[in-house]
Amino acid sequence: MGQNKTGRKRSAGLLIPLGGLLLILCYVAGIRYITANLKGNDGGNGETSKHYVALVVKSTTSAFWKSVFSGANAAGTEYNLTLTIEGPDNEEDYKTQNEQIARAVENGAEVIVFSAVDYEANGAAIDAAASQGVKIVVIDSDVNSSQVSSRISTDNYRAGQMAATAVLDSPEESLRVGIVNFDKNSANGQQREAGFRDALRGDHRVQIVDAINVLSTTEDSKGGTMEMLKNHPEINVIATFNEWTSLGVGYAIQELSLAEETMVVAFDSNVVSVGMLETGEVDALIVQNPYAMGYLGVECAYNLINNLPLESSQVDTATTVITRENMFEEECQKVLFTFD
Amino acid sequence: MRKGRLKQKISLSAVMTWAVTVLVLTVLLSMLLFFIRMYQNSIEKNAMIASEQAVVQVVNTVENYTGDMADAMEMISRHIGRQEEARNEFFQSFLEIRSDVVAVTTYDLEGRLLDCWSDGLKQKAKLRENLSYMETPEKKGLHISKPHVESLFEEYYPWVVTVSGNMRGQRGQELQVSMDIRFSNIADYVDEVGIGQHGYCFIQDTEGNLVYHPQQQLIYSGLKEEAGEPDSLADGSYLRSNVIYTIRTLENCNWRIVGVSYVDELITNRVERMVRICLVLLFLVLITAMLLGTLFSWLFARPANQLTRAMGEFEKNAENFRFVQVEGTGEISALSDSFGHMVVRIQELMEQVRQEEVTLRKTELNALQAQINPHFLYNTLDSIAWMCEEGRNEEAVEMVNALARLFRISISRGHELIPLEKELLHARSYLKIQNYRYKNQFTYHFDVEEGCLPYLCSKITLQPIIENAIYHGIDRMVDEGRIDIRIREEEDVILMTVTDNGVGMSQEQCREILHREAGDRTGIGIKNVNDRIRIYFGEAYGLLITSELDEGTCVEIRIPKVKEGDYGTK
Repeated sequence: MGQNKTGRKRSAGLLIPLGGLLLILCYVAGIRYITANLKGNDGGNGETSKHYVALVVKSTTSAFWKSVFSGANAAGTEYNLTLTIEGPDNEEDYKTQNEQIARAVENGAEVIVFSAVDYEANGAAIDAAASQGVKIVVIDSDVNSSQVSSRISTDNYRAGQMAATAVLDSPEESLRVGIVNFDKNSANGQQREAGFRDALRGDHRVQIVDAINVLSTTEDSKGGTMEMLKNHPEINVIATFNEWTSLGVGYAIQELSLAEETMVVAFDSNVVSVGMLETGEVDALIVQNPYAMGYLGVECAYNLINNLPLESSQVDTATTVITRENMFEEECQKVLFTFD
Repeated sequence: MRKGRLKQKISLSAVMTWAVTVLVLTVLLSMLLFFIRMYQNSIEKNAMIASEQAVVQVVNTVENYTGDMADAMEMISRHIGRQEEARNEFFQSFLEIRSDVVAVTTYDLEGRLLDCWSDGLKQKAKLRENLSYMETPEKKGLHISKPHVESLFEEYYPWVVTVSGNMRGQRGQELQVSMDIRFSNIADYVDEVGIGQHGYCFIQDTEGNLVYHPQQQLIYSGLKEEAGEPDSLADGSYLRSNVIYTIRTLENCNWRIVGVSYVDELITNRVERMVRICLVLLFLVLITAMLLGTLFSWLFARPANQLTRAMGEFEKNAENFRFVQVEGTGEISALSDSFGHMVVRIQELMEQVRQEEVTLRKTELNALQAQINPHFLYNTLDSIAWMCEEGRNEEAVEMVNALARLFRISISRGHELIPLEKELLHARSYLKIQNYRYKNQFTYHFDVEEGCLPYLCSKITLQPIIENAIYHGIDRMVDEGRIDIRIREEEDVILMTVTDNGVGMSQEQCREILHREAGDRTGIGIKNVNDRIRIYFGEAYGLLITSELDEGTCVEIRIPKVKEGDYGTK
């Protein structure tokens, strides 16, 4: 009994200062917490270092991409991200793109928002980036990689179909179609063409006379178109699938003064192609929503960084068919002309 | 068992801890609720006020801006009627200065485009559609169209609003004049306006068309949508779930400013923080309460328990209890001190009482011993004298010898316990003397087991009983009396029996004789014998008297088997 008592006393003698110390620590911590909270301003959790998102795209010059950038910047500002925007000088230069991807990974990008020049040739670089833990979001143009977290683009096949519908709206009895597409290796151009061809197939009025692939520049597509028209003067419908080739086709038509005779269904909008739509060189524009692509791409990157759930791994942005008749309707104005 | 009961009882410190905790909890919670309500109200009110102030400021700025538009129109109206050259000159400098004015156009009453001035822009050869023309506005004052794309120029499609008004031309004819303005200036300003953390404001016209929204392009791209609700609301501030809409219509045109701010983020943030603070406070208070409880138990409950335990022990074993001081608060120390003093005092008193009792017995005995002597001595000496007179010298000598033995044993001072042998000698001497005195009225017989002789016996045990047998039993008898004294060794006691065949006693007398103090005539009373045996040997021993009237009396005396030298140990 006596021993027991002294034992208890000894342990108590050790416990009391320890417990006291612990309590005092709790006290100090609590009071500090309270004072810190009372002093602290309303600002949220305090800004930690910004997350870095790299946007690597096909081109940096076209109105389409500028609109993408403005959407991306809007989201970057909204979500407080560091955003870099890069792209090769021409839309065939997948090598530069691969370098840009590698550099973005080196610089510590957490997410790469990517638009592929070449569906196949960019795949390895993207896989390499993904293996470093970088997440990949694809906008506009797809890449052959299984590491892509989300794809945000126009439903290209459907956009091709819409172009076909615009063609079929023509009152002409016989539609002799020429196709001016850009780089064969670019996924979205091929998808659009496939949608376009599939939608025309089976219509007795339609005959696809020729299809050419040109470089994605105004000059090359203009030359290609003029040559195609020279070879096949019977062509009365031309379909083309991006902004630069649209301009090239428009210029070719202008130069050949075929605005009245030839129906042109083109893609994307800029002030020149809108002017051509008004003056008749171009008859319909399939207008995508580049601003949304940029915005949603970066928003998706933000969600990935913060482990927020993604709505889906495939987001289709809207596509609108603009014709001369509806181009100044209110809704079409909003689609056609960016607000700056 | 006892411990279990103690555990079930609520300890003082636990009560203390709980009381403080519950008290603080209730106070804190009610305060918290109260504060949150107050806070919520005041924050809502503040948010409303902030929103209103922000919107009023925007209204002022935008009003300046639209006022500026009105001034420009005013200026145009002053110059539109001038000569061709002067008019062109005016417009050139006007458009140079006002870089936000894209074009000024004039129309006749049928809506035909008459003139178009712009800052060096190439007008389209063929106008497909002119968005700058408006049906003549019915309203007086400034009329501003909803935003549209400028459609007059080649490769230039900015978003503009058109301000139009009716003016008089050079020849006094009615003209409708439209001025297309890029509202980037005001847009920049509106972008900068923030209400609260995420609040913003936007401009719409009275028909609900969006004029400018900080996220205009997001809305145009279909990525965002502004709730349609403010469109139908009149000026004022509205709280809708957690959104505050503040709406003001400009005085000089058909624009309205809508401020949108979120109460939720403000309140929930702050309330959350309040709750967090309160939780931490509560935690601190809990710790404090526990600390206080422990302290309390340390200072009060624990020593109190110790005291209680000490008292319990004292209650059980008062004689051998040793009190250890209990440390604690002043009150506890005082209590402990008092209890310590009390214990000492009680123990002293107990010792004193016992000592006094022993002393009392001793003095009593001594007194009685002293008391019997004179009577007995007187009678005996009388007998001896009488013997001498009669010349029965031998008998007288025997008598004197017996008397001497009797006294030697009686007087053996300091020895309260004597061997049975001596006690028997004492009894024999006494009986011899009495037998002479009573002239052989009775006979007596001793029957003693040899083995009993060394055992100790309290002195003068047999004599008073024999005396009683003679005086009360045999003295009054006509027949010859007989006294038998037998001493037997039983299992663990010595049993002495004194039997007479005298007149005997009633039951009451038997009982009384054990409780009555000795009278004058009798010597040491039977009660005294009994008491002494009990004092020396314990309650288990003593006298047992059985008597029957006219038959005789039997007194049994039981004492333990104690030999010389053993006494103290038992």
